[in-house]
Amino acid sequence: MASEDEEFTMLFQDFYPSLCRFLECLLGGRAPLAQDLAQESFLQLHRTAWGNLPAGEARFWLYRVARNMAINEFRKSNTRYRLFDRVVETMRPRSRNPEQEYEAQERQSLVLKMLQTLPEDQRAALLLREQEQLTYREIGQVLNVSESKVKVDIFRARASLRERWGKQEQKFRVQPSGCSSSRQAKA
Amino acid sequence: MSCNYTEKVSSLIDGELSAAEARDIERHLLNCAECEQQRADFLNLRRQIASFETSLQPTVQNRALRKILSVDRRAPAHGFQWGFNTQALAFTTLLIVGAIIGLVLYQTSSTGDPEKQQVAIQSPSPAPESSIKKPSTTESPESSKDQPAPSKNNKETTTPKRSAPARRPPAREPKPGEQFAAIPEPVRSADSETMTAMHFEKAERLLLAFKNVRLNEPGAATNVGYERKRAKELVYQNMMLRREADAAGDVQIASLLENLEPILLDIANLPARPDQDSVRVIRERVERKNIVALLRVNHMALARALD
Repeated sequence: MASEDEEFTMLFQDFYPSLCRFLECLLGGRAPLAQDLAQESFLQLHRTAWGNLPAGEARFWLYRVARNMAINEFRKSNTRYRLFDRVVETMRPRSRNPEQEYEAQERQSLVLKMLQTLPEDQRAALLLREQEQLTYREIGQVLNVSESKVKVDIFRARASLRERWGKQEQKFRVQPSGCSSSRQAKA
Repeated sequence: MSCNYTEKVSSLIDGELSAAEARDIERHLLNCAECEQQRADFLNLRRQIASFETSLQPTVQNRALRKILSVDRRAPAHGFQWGFNTQALAFTTLLIVGAIIGLVLYQTSSTGDPEKQQVAIQSPSPAPESSIKKPSTTESPESSKDQPAPSKNNKETTTPKRSAPARRPPAREPKPGEQFAAIPEPVRSADSETMTAMHFEKAERLLLAFKNVRLNEPGAATNVGYERKRAKELVYQNMMLRREADAAGDVQIASLLENLEPILLDIANLPARPDQDSVRVIRERVERKNIVALLRVNHMALARALD
């Protein structure tokens, strides 16, 4: 039992932050809700599936359950957590200087806004690819879709974001070092 | 994006292409500025998304871990348990409240006093003065006055009369200050409708028989004896059914019975040896009022409704 808990603790320490990040991006920045859902996913894993899953499957299981919970949250009220999220965001300790903090916040906000323009399945597939570095097969396993659909979804998500990126970054006056500068140089 | 390789570029940066395909695309990128730009943009998007930082604090993470490990594995998850209990409690409360409201509504709308209800059921006459009377006083005079003495010949007409009132649906209880027959009961029982249909059929046969009496022959008057006897039998039944139809508010049946009644009376009151003119006058009235056809139509309609 002790060794099981140790294994679970290791899994938790490895994947809880990334699961929180995945959920936060999926939910559009509702950090407390994302943390609650991540905790609930781990709780379900610990209570029901831990020990029954094959080795290496627990991670995919976690993302699958967490994503389903996030979809359920989409169907609920979208306004319930907003005020609380803002309070938490305001009270969050700042480690960098105000300028860096402002710039980082703007960039994070822009990323979240851009991601929210995507359909949920494309957003989930892209996040699992870009943040968690899952393969197409693993993403298909998590999202319960075929590999070819994952490939198409990721490509469409990227193409859609690429198209919007230039307009949005001008709007929010963020200067990412990538596509905009190169596009300007080309022009 | 006019280049055919744009989708392949996405797979290329994900490492999802075979070695040969990857070499082809890399070679293509050297010559296609559009695809090269696309790869650069896709990689920049990757950096932006991957560099997203969660606002998770270590204290929150440790607290979450402690909470998860403290929960017994066999126990249901706290959140789900609470959610289920809340829903179940709300559903049960809703059911109980609904049952109470339904019970109250049922009690307020249902008839209360069984004794008064019994009076309404047993009262055969819808007239206000007769309905106010007690059952013992309303039942016996009406039946003794209107009904002929039971005989062996008219069993078929007297038998349904006895059973009809007992199986009539319960009448509405009159409210205080309201006369019982002010609002007639709109529903007639199946028995009374059956009796009415049978009565119409018999009356139709009688009138047809009366129509076919031969007047030109010398012994015609003697042939009316059967019709007189049948008419006497039907008159009393006609009175009873007309009152029931009036009480039930069935205007169509009541008016038809009302038109039929004087004709039946006239036939029943014909002298033992009637002259041809008397018979002809009654026939003309029957034809003028088109009673036979009306009887047939109503009889068939009632029969269809009962089927």
